[in-house]
Amino acid sequence: MAIKRGVSLYSYQQAQFFKKMNWKDMIREVHDNLGTDGIEIIDESTIRDYPFPSEQFIYDWNNEMARYNMKAVTMDVYLDVHQFRDHVMTHREAAERLKNDIKLAARLGFENVRCLCAVPIDVIEMALPTAEKYNVRIGKEIHAPFPIKSNKLRVKRGMMPINPRMVDEIINLRARTGSTHVGLVPDMGIFQHSPSRVAIEYTKRHANKPEAVDFIRENCRNYDDEEIVKVLNEKYPDHGLTRMDISRMYLHEPAADPEDIIDIIPYIVSIHGKFYDMTEIPGKPGQYEDKSIDYETPLKYLKEYGYNGYINSEFEGQRDQQDRGIENLVDEVEQVRRHHEMLKRLIGE
Amino acid sequence: MFDSFLIRKDSLQNVVEDGKVTGFKFAVRIADYRGCFLSLHNGYYIRCDGVEYPRELQRFEVNGKKPRTFEEIKKCVWEHWNYDDEAYVYVTKEGGLEPGMHTIEIQQSVLSQYGYGPWDEEWVKNPPVPGTGAGAGKTHVICKFELELQE
Repeated sequence: MAIKRGVSLYSYQQAQFFKKMNWKDMIREVHDNLGTDGIEIIDESTIRDYPFPSEQFIYDWNNEMARYNMKAVTMDVYLDVHQFRDHVMTHREAAERLKNDIKLAARLGFENVRCLCAVPIDVIEMALPTAEKYNVRIGKEIHAPFPIKSNKLRVKRGMMPINPRMVDEIINLRARTGSTHVGLVPDMGIFQHSPSRVAIEYTKRHANKPEAVDFIRENCRNYDDEEIVKVLNEKYPDHGLTRMDISRMYLHEPAADPEDIIDIIPYIVSIHGKFYDMTEIPGKPGQYEDKSIDYETPLKYLKEYGYNGYINSEFEGQRDQQDRGIENLVDEVEQVRRHHEMLKRLIGE
Repeated sequence: MFDSFLIRKDSLQNVVEDGKVTGFKFAVRIADYRGCFLSLHNGYYIRCDGVEYPRELQRFEVNGKKPRTFEEIKKCVWEHWNYDDEAYVYVTKEGGLEPGMHTIEIQQSVLSQYGYGPWDEEWVKNPPVPGTGAGAGKTHVICKFELELQE
């Protein structure tokens, strides 16, 4: 048993947008050129007419997966609390959406659904009997800036409220119910220690004062995440950066420490292999790395402590390169191939 | 996301209804990597040649149905805007646009989010006005397009 490789079709979102690839092309790319079988999807991107796909779509999906002997690993599901617009979705309604997504995942052959960090634990608990019945595990994502260990929360504020006890809540729910149908989906982005080259360049292109971005990079270790905003406003009053831009550029330490992954290995249902920009390692032709994310250390621990589930590539660097002409778009297929070169090498395949 | 590609470049046209030019329209895609429940679509910040056209002057055509106002769209709680699909934004402007090039600045507002936020109750009572960045999904900047009016 070893760590297995897969791809979230999220990675090819731009090719899908421009109608260069459909989900069948993506599955063939994973099978033919990456030589592996793991498939993850975003429900609202791949499933035509979500949440009510046709019988034909479901048959077509299962048939295509069978044709290439692929594995439907994880389906990523969402929680949009404003769907009804006349009231904020209640937790019971949120559980209904999750239950419906679980049933849909089961029909498409998926082993897991990934729910978001900010899904309240009682919502997951209400959906757990459905997960048991349909034999689909619920994996809660650990996405930056959420930490693995509750005492290691490093940022004061995120775009969404951060519950640092998220991981403990999942482990407690398992212990309390005895269910193995709930677990965790760590995103490798929790080991990201600096902004990617493509994010820095995008932010500079849209800032009134590109040097403000350099200032953040040079001084991120000297101020906390509140102070840096204050100092920046004083020094560059018309910098034109949003709070989100600033927090993206401020990043200088990972949300989680690599060794923290050891303790949660028994609860991992699958892993998101987030990356932004695979570049060739100097002096090592044909070998690639993402300079902003530490893969080596966490993968060493995952191997050593016997994780044998999937890591599914999740390429996200395209969005920072879509503000110019078509000639500046990145090749997602090539990026994912490079990511799999790295995964194979680090897994020791 | 898709900053330069949210509007299809050759899609700007005047709208003729009952023999009269009532405004203009252009084709858009969702500024996210996933589709959305249509009710979440909260309209656009639109500035054309320096003039702002608020949500009340906008209609949205998707899923093969006639253009709907954003008050109607709000009620489409089970209809979905698929990620793959283009839609048309209609803007009311008596007489439409003059032939030639036009500058359109745009920000889409879709109230999709990743769970509960402290602003939720407020957004039910007072949905954010498009253009502030609130509900701007994955494209927080205002995107600018130079488009030629098509015949």
